[in-house]
Amino acid sequence: MRDDRSRWITGALALAAFALVCRAAWVQIWQHEYWTRKANDQQTTTANLPAPRGTITDATGLVLAESRTLVTIAIDPRAVRNIGALRRGLETARVAPNWIRRATDTTRKWVEIPQRFLPNDIATVQAMRGVRTTPVAERVYLPSESVRRLVGRATPERGLDGVEFALDSLLTGERGTAALVRDARGRTLVSPDGDGDAARPGHTVTLTVNHALQDIAERALADAQSRTGANGGDIVVLDPRDGAVLAMASRRPDPKSLAATAVTESFEPGSTLKPFFAGRLLDLRRARSDEVVNTYNGQMKLGTRTITDVHKAPRMSLREVIAQSSNIGIVQFAARLTAREEYELLRDLGFGTPTGVPYPLEASGRLRPPSQWSATSAASLAMGYEVSVSPLQLAVAYAAIANGGELLQPSLIRRITAPDGRVVWTHARRALRRVLSPEAAADVRRMLVEVVEEGTAGGADLAQFEVGGKSGTARRTGKGGRYAAGSYTASFVGLFPADDPQLVVLVKLDNPQGAYYGGKTAAPVFKAVLEGALASRDASIDRQRVAAQVRAPAESATADSVREVAAAAESRDARGDAVGDVPAVIDLTQPRGRAPALPARAVPSVDGLPTRRAVFTLHEAGFRVQLTEGAGVDPAPGTVLKPGSIVRLGRNQPR
Amino acid sequence: MAFVLLAFLVVATGVIARRSYGIAQARALRDLDRERVQLESRRTQLQRDIRDASSRVRLQKTAEQALGMRVPADSQVIILAPGATRAR
Repeated sequence: MRDDRSRWITGALALAAFALVCRAAWVQIWQHEYWTRKANDQQTTTANLPAPRGTITDATGLVLAESRTLVTIAIDPRAVRNIGALRRGLETARVAPNWIRRATDTTRKWVEIPQRFLPNDIATVQAMRGVRTTPVAERVYLPSESVRRLVGRATPERGLDGVEFALDSLLTGERGTAALVRDARGRTLVSPDGDGDAARPGHTVTLTVNHALQDIAERALADAQSRTGANGGDIVVLDPRDGAVLAMASRRPDPKSLAATAVTESFEPGSTLKPFFAGRLLDLRRARSDEVVNTYNGQMKLGTRTITDVHKAPRMSLREVIAQSSNIGIVQFAARLTAREEYELLRDLGFGTPTGVPYPLEASGRLRPPSQWSATSAASLAMGYEVSVSPLQLAVAYAAIANGGELLQPSLIRRITAPDGRVVWTHARRALRRVLSPEAAADVRRMLVEVVEEGTAGGADLAQFEVGGKSGTARRTGKGGRYAAGSYTASFVGLFPADDPQLVVLVKLDNPQGAYYGGKTAAPVFKAVLEGALASRDASIDRQRVAAQVRAPAESATADSVREVAAAAESRDARGDAVGDVPAVIDLTQPRGRAPALPARAVPSVDGLPTRRAVFTLHEAGFRVQLTEGAGVDPAPGTVLKPGSIVRLGRNQPR
Repeated sequence: MAFVLLAFLVVATGVIARRSYGIAQARALRDLDRERVQLESRRTQLQRDIRDASSRVRLQKTAEQALGMRVPADSQVIILAPGATRAR
């Protein structure tokens, strides 16, 4: 009987064990997929990793816009073990006192502080129990109004305007994912298996803009605005050799205006268009630069309209027409072009068509076809009216005069680099079309030099360098599209230097008060920009080439400068400072061009003098000095040479 | 039977130890990542401060107001052009 009972119990246990094994097999073999999925759902989760937006830099690599990670914090006061430490941590992070009170109130369940913090500032708080942090991306910009206008704005996800918007697809990175494991309390950790995809940051965009030149332009524009009482203005600095935009500054009275208005707004250019008509006439051999037309002592009737000149003369050559900005003269000359030829000239210069720089809402300007012209439109166009252009378009057109006649595709972007360092796009010079022959362009450049030296824009003249340019003063339209009395746009577009230009600088001032002429208001701004650029080490000027184009205003000034340089050099010598790499050619200013002719003189003896003293002596005598590897002075002391001649000085000369 | 039990105990201890070690490493990784983010953020902030402090806008203002300096006229700038050879 007992054996029977024992067998029953054993059998039941064996059955139970068998059932358990069957159930285990059912769960682990047949239902394996289901339970694995369920366990994964409970124990793991996936987090989205935000992709850092690409960086925007200037041409020298200075960061103009970048993304950084900030954090927001949320606190469960009841879970915090050390409320005092939490309070101190929040005070250190400069959290508002009322939010500190809420965060340390243990009757509350959950407090989200409406502030963003640098992770470093809340490092102690972040590590506490009951504190949860969430990373948020923030875009950081260089604190410069013009740079902000150009670069634009962006949320962490997308560009809103400016370059940020135009190149949004490149700047936006690819989001990543990370697998997290959850413990029994719901706390998460990055999965040790390393599942997930890393986020890919956006491309790095390098602009053609040079920050030093940008700062200089911005400052010059602000100074000009306060000096002239202008409502606003624009400055564009362009490299005429490759079309790169080196600086673009804009100011507007409306604080809501956030765009780079040098690209997005157009204006009637006025007399700054005249040189293009002169160039096309020279090209077509319809006029010579010394050819004279009647300018009727500054007043001429054209149909019902009277055209006047500020500089009144009975007749002027084409050269003088440009130098004195004669409306009558240019109308007379432009009459030699047909309406179709005038239109084609302006169209060839790119007016009426966006330049194609990557910037949203670029203005195309306004150029009507001849079929829509009135009887006086041809004359108006020659004077720079009935056509509107953006400052960038006008600067690009002047770049054609500067580079020998080729209209270039302007560029704001120097380079685009992928996150792995691969350069995916780089700016290369791209000529769109030839708008002037090299000879005509050279003739026009000479005319532009006369504008500065003898004409309307003396305020742009530099003492050491020959510059060319053209001023313009155009009436502005007011309400109802009619010209407003006493409201003008003053502008000046200049080339630096006049021979083989490296920079085209456009200055435009809106509604300057008082002496409103472009030559009086905008031309000095051009000079201020160039003075700033020359005094700056990193303003995109090829100094080696510029040094060969120096001219001296007067010998005395040169001598003073030489004395200052030599004194500074001697001071360094006296202190025993290492001289380092001394430039071998010291190209100091010598009379050229308009400077008075100086008599020939003998090369002085510099035997026994230290090199710097010898250089000083030779410069003071009026010669340019080139340091060579040999010894002695060539030509020999006593040789009579013209001032400005090069004297070679051997740096190994025994002294 | 005792050996089986012992083997089971050893294996189970090994699994738990490995898992604990993995979790500890993951925590250390998380802390390091947090520190990296903090340092990156600090670096960005410091670089921004350097840029601001060394910007032409800031320096020019200080040089003009505090030191009485000014941007030289172009006639006061002497450009020293490097020639074909350089002094040692």
